[in-house]
Amino acid sequence: MTIAGTARKPIPRRSPLLVQLGGLYGIWLREVKRAIRDRGQLVGGISRPILWVLILGIGLNPYFRGEVYGEVTFVVPFTYLQFIFPAVVALNIMYTSVQSAVSVIWDREFGFLREVLVSPMSRGTILLGKVLGGATVAVVHGSLVLILARFADVSLTPMEVLKALGLMAMLAFALTSLGVVIANRIKSFAGFGVFSNAVILPLYFTSSSIFPLDPALTGAQTRVVYPEWLVILVKYNPLTYAIDALRGVLINYNQFDPRIGILVMLAAGVVLFAIALYDFRRV
Amino acid sequence: MTTSEPAIRVDALSKRYGRTLALDEVGFAVQEREMFALLGPNGAGKTTLLHILCTILRPDSGAAFIGGSDVVREPLAARRRLGIVFQEPSLDDRLTVHENLDLHGLVFGVPRKIRRQRIEEMLDLVELTGWADKPARTLSSGMKRRLEIARALIHDSEIMLLDEPTVGLDAQTRERIWSYLERLRREREITVMVTTHYIEEVEGCDRVCIIDHGKILALDTPEALKREHGRQVLRLVLRNESDRQEILTRFAGRLAGETGAAAEAPILLNSDDAFVDALLAEYGNRLRSMAIDAPSLETVFLSLTGRELRDQAAGARERTLAFGRRGGEHTR
Repeated sequence: MTIAGTARKPIPRRSPLLVQLGGLYGIWLREVKRAIRDRGQLVGGISRPILWVLILGIGLNPYFRGEVYGEVTFVVPFTYLQFIFPAVVALNIMYTSVQSAVSVIWDREFGFLREVLVSPMSRGTILLGKVLGGATVAVVHGSLVLILARFADVSLTPMEVLKALGLMAMLAFALTSLGVVIANRIKSFAGFGVFSNAVILPLYFTSSSIFPLDPALTGAQTRVVYPEWLVILVKYNPLTYAIDALRGVLINYNQFDPRIGILVMLAAGVVLFAIALYDFRRV
Repeated sequence: MTTSEPAIRVDALSKRYGRTLALDEVGFAVQEREMFALLGPNGAGKTTLLHILCTILRPDSGAAFIGGSDVVREPLAARRRLGIVFQEPSLDDRLTVHENLDLHGLVFGVPRKIRRQRIEEMLDLVELTGWADKPARTLSSGMKRRLEIARALIHDSEIMLLDEPTVGLDAQTRERIWSYLERLRREREITVMVTTHYIEEVEGCDRVCIIDHGKILALDTPEALKREHGRQVLRLVLRNESDRQEILTRFAGRLAGETGAAAEAPILLNSDDAFVDALLAEYGNRLRSMAIDAPSLETVFLSLTGRELRDQAAGARERTLAFGRRGGEHTR
């Protein structure tokens, strides 16, 4: 029995660029579809900001007055809820970015990666599709936090939302690349909990996300209020500047020049992606 | 591709992992439209060889060609010709059957119209049309294998490489997979190269290459192999240990393979009818059991390697995979 359909018919050749773009789309689409179908990830993406904004934010709100040891040294013209709101956006992006990057380990060991590694896709296309997909999902999760804006007394204009989305995309790209760089260095699978404790939370807590460094104080004075090691950690944490840029757009409050944040994110995105690609080429 | 160029050509291929030599100067050629089997125990070097052929592993020395394209220097040209089914399932569990095939079409640059048409044809071929919109994880392992075969054909591959396509499947499903492969070769005129450690499966192949410890031990048609290396093998289990030792020393020259240390482990002896008669006359009342294996690929393998094909314990990767299957991480 012969079915006409099974006879071989050569496929017309397309331009290599078109093939790479089609594949990029396919890999990106796969990441997004997988994320949509992962209930656990979605639940985390929704419950996390609610906990941080509604419980922690509202709970600490009355204690946030810019006074240290009863003496008002500076005044942050915002409520605590408003202050941590942009940081929670960043937190949600961090979790989702790193989580999708960790799936690289699964991809590498079982299945998908082998399948695309024997395709005409270049390593760069595969990695870019993967990182863009993870970053897209992360931006969506970050946007979930924006829905809570009114509960945090943050009013947003459409223009501000657009600007914020741009910053979020840069942050998500850099963080997903970071996640891939780390995942590439991990031989056996230890679990996402390790990442969350060893990477996400330390980065997050030392990024002036949940407490401000007093911008009115000089470096010397800051060191009086806070221990020096903490000041140094915060100053050298790139995330500090990303969150600051986001804060500038969302609540109009900057501790640093907002352009630093954009520069840091762009540079981190490029450098981390390049490292990830270098590792990936050797797979 | 010129007609004289074989579908797959392997020249003095070597690959070393640390101190183990996985492939030792392996060389052979597979003709177009041939059904070629690579037979060997786990760790023989089959998968290493296949990974080099599908361009994801570089050989230390030697060369390999897919339809004339060097797998190291022109990997893209080689990959376009290849349809690959890996040993481990490489489907995306969270995508549907159709989405899995569509993703494959996209990364292989198959235009949308042809993609749609080809997916339909291939689902029909492996009888999974009714499952198109079901998530891949709901498929049985046999269906997953069939889907992977369908996927490997979406981009009009000329040469199929299948790494242990029937491992872990029940006999009926295994037979079905082989019937698809046979049909594909006939109707699509493709070359099929299969690795396996199920000896009974390779009987239907055109040629069989027996490989162990990275070396080719024999390469011929199943009939020729049986004629040349096949022997009648006698399996003996004795009632008591002293008789067992006696036979082991007395017929040491006839031992057909390694004998296990356990008292119940059968002794394998090369035999013929006269030897069986003599043995029965002398030891007939001291035997627990006795079996005679007629010359088959099984005994060919035994006489070439001195071992029987056997499964091995799970490695680290298998354990991690099992962890994921149990629902260990939501990143899966």
